[in-house]
Amino acid sequence: MKEKSGTTSGFRKFLYNDNTVGYVFAAPFIIGFICFSLIPILTSFYYAFTDYSLGTKTAEFVGLKNFLKLFQDEVFHKSLWITLKYVFLSVPLKLIFALLVAFLLTRKSKMVTLYRSLYYVPSLVGGSVAVALVWKQLFARKGLFNTVLDGLGLNGINWFGDQGLALIPLILMSVWQFGSSMIIFAAGLKEIPGTYYEAARIDGANGFQMFRKITLPCLSPIILYNLVMQTISAFMAFTQASIITQGGPNNSTMLYALYVYNQAFKYNDMGYASAMSWFMLVVMCGITAIIFKTSKLWVFSESGD
Amino acid sequence: MKKKLLAVLLAAVMIVGTAGCGSDSGDGSSQAGSTDESTSEAAGTESSQEDSAANESTADEQITLRMAWWGSQTRHDITVEVIGMYEKENPNVKIEYEFFSFDDYFTKLKTLVASDQVWDIFQLGGNFPMYVDKIHYLDEFIESGVVDTSDIADAYLQITQDADGNQMGLSNGLNTYGIAYDVDMFTEAGVALPTETWTWDDYYNAAIRIHEYYGHYGSSGFTSSEFIAGCSTYIGQYGKIGEYTFFNIDLTGMGFDDASMLEPYIQMRADLINAGASPDSGAEAEITNIENDFLVTGEAAMTWVAVNQFPTIYDICQEEGRTLALAPLPRITENGPSGAAIQSSQMLCVSQDSEHKEAAAAFISWFQNSTECNDVLQGERGIPVNGTVRDSLKASATEGKQIMYDFVDLVGTFEAPEKINVLSPDGQDEVVDKYRNYIQQVVYGEITAAVAAEKTYADAAAIFE
Repeated sequence: MKEKSGTTSGFRKFLYNDNTVGYVFAAPFIIGFICFSLIPILTSFYYAFTDYSLGTKTAEFVGLKNFLKLFQDEVFHKSLWITLKYVFLSVPLKLIFALLVAFLLTRKSKMVTLYRSLYYVPSLVGGSVAVALVWKQLFARKGLFNTVLDGLGLNGINWFGDQGLALIPLILMSVWQFGSSMIIFAAGLKEIPGTYYEAARIDGANGFQMFRKITLPCLSPIILYNLVMQTISAFMAFTQASIITQGGPNNSTMLYALYVYNQAFKYNDMGYASAMSWFMLVVMCGITAIIFKTSKLWVFSESGD
Repeated sequence: MKKKLLAVLLAAVMIVGTAGCGSDSGDGSSQAGSTDESTSEAAGTESSQEDSAANESTADEQITLRMAWWGSQTRHDITVEVIGMYEKENPNVKIEYEFFSFDDYFTKLKTLVASDQVWDIFQLGGNFPMYVDKIHYLDEFIESGVVDTSDIADAYLQITQDADGNQMGLSNGLNTYGIAYDVDMFTEAGVALPTETWTWDDYYNAAIRIHEYYGHYGSSGFTSSEFIAGCSTYIGQYGKIGEYTFFNIDLTGMGFDDASMLEPYIQMRADLINAGASPDSGAEAEITNIENDFLVTGEAAMTWVAVNQFPTIYDICQEEGRTLALAPLPRITENGPSGAAIQSSQMLCVSQDSEHKEAAAAFISWFQNSTECNDVLQGERGIPVNGTVRDSLKASATEGKQIMYDFVDLVGTFEAPEKINVLSPDGQDEVVDKYRNYIQQVVYGEITAAVAAEKTYADAAAIFE
């Protein structure tokens, strides 16, 4: 009897503990993270050293064979190169565009909120299959863009048939989804004290000078954040390539994530795909580290440490 | 204090709620429970004997079968319709179905194989070596009479048996490949119509001439059939009948030695694309199924088909006042082997993971043997293997289907090797994708056709290392 009341009170104590509420509310995330992120991440690390295939379901340890295979795989080299090209072109373009629009939308006008929402919409539907299909139609041989070009008396462009051009629509699609970066920039722009601009104006600075000497430095921490986030997500781009071009022509749009997917689910080489994923993790870590290292040179911190 | 307790409780409810989300879908099946017992007996007397056999054993039990297939919109519509018919006849059976495009189907299947949850009834083609462990053989059900094979010729049972004679499934139909072409485009452009023994040179010249005359494509792309055309079929057309195959019959190695045998086809393909007589890979990516193939949209005069696809596109073109016809696959030389074979288009199998294997087998039997069912299916998956069904369909066949039946009969008269290889080895998918990419590299002038041939041979041979 005594014991029982002891455990119930212990349970009550636990139930009414301040931290408990926090844990319970966080539990869905924690459980989700462990089940759907942490465990798969750890198993994929193990699979990277095996010949695991979804079909046969046997995983034999093969040591570094998967990683050595990376060096001989022509398609892998090409997809790595294409992905770097995609990242280095799409991320700066997207950020410049987002900053430009955010800057335009700092004016005090009633329509600003509406425009901001409108420009944010593409980001909401960003990774979706539907948008990729629309994009495929727009750039198709007889799609909207070529119809317009025809109307202007120009020759239509064979976007997805030319290996030099096929990546461009995919980059444009990513640039078009500039909304989330734009919102963050807009918030950052609001934080810059108006007094700086006033002072500069009194000193006779023009708009461009103010942008260069005040806006950019004050915004640089935000630019760093956006740069890192967008770089990481650009490395993982998958939907466009999978839906629109399936990697063609001549693998010129074989983005890394698509090739990993093909190896894992189409060619049944989950072990090799896992090895590729871990290789990409290293590459992404490297590039992010470089961004952080160089950020000391261009990120302006007001606390001035 | 009370508020806090409430908060904890609410949070707990939320967790249970999210955990519950995943398993919702399975529950719907049991709803139809109460009224069924009386009706199922009535239905049992109406339906054929193999159904009632299944009903007797499971009459008072509600069963949910999961089924999946790949195919075109037409196939989805008619298959959903016959599933409705079966559920009406067998009220204790509920069939949950899913359908996909070809590639998506196998992606999904692979994940289900990995999680031991393969659909009770699933569709497989010649690409099944890796799924063979998931197939529950039908032999025991054939013996017990659940699966009725009395009206299926032995030869047609054999096309879905493995090397040890186990019945892996029942074939959905007989099938073979051909070239569908627009008759008027050929005559208008002054090109001779394909004959029974036309060659790849004839095919090439026709495509070029039609392209020069109309400006659009002479021949549509062969898309994923490029490999069957340029490797399996083309290699089989060399030498004497049955002398060469791409993979050997036991799928233990290559069936030919000289990589350069692949070269002429690759060169021809690249030349056609470079001449604009065949779509480049960008345009080819716009073909998502047979209904929007360039032949159907009127932008090409020829395309590669599995002949069960022919009636569908024939009907579409007929509505636009165009006439399509079927020609056999071109050969290397007029008197050489045709390289063609009559095969099973696909089959329905019972999965090892199924909890209701007998009910699943009963459905498959009904699906292949019931004339009412096949009146709806109309041989869209291929020519039915059941004799009675085939005769009844032939009697009422539309023009497009009549052409298909005649064509299969024609291919049946071609001299064929004794043993053919309708299976593909595990690992072929990657070889196919690389092969198609080598053709593109030849188109862009990055490599020569000879190098492409060597690389393809090396990739394929590497499967067996």
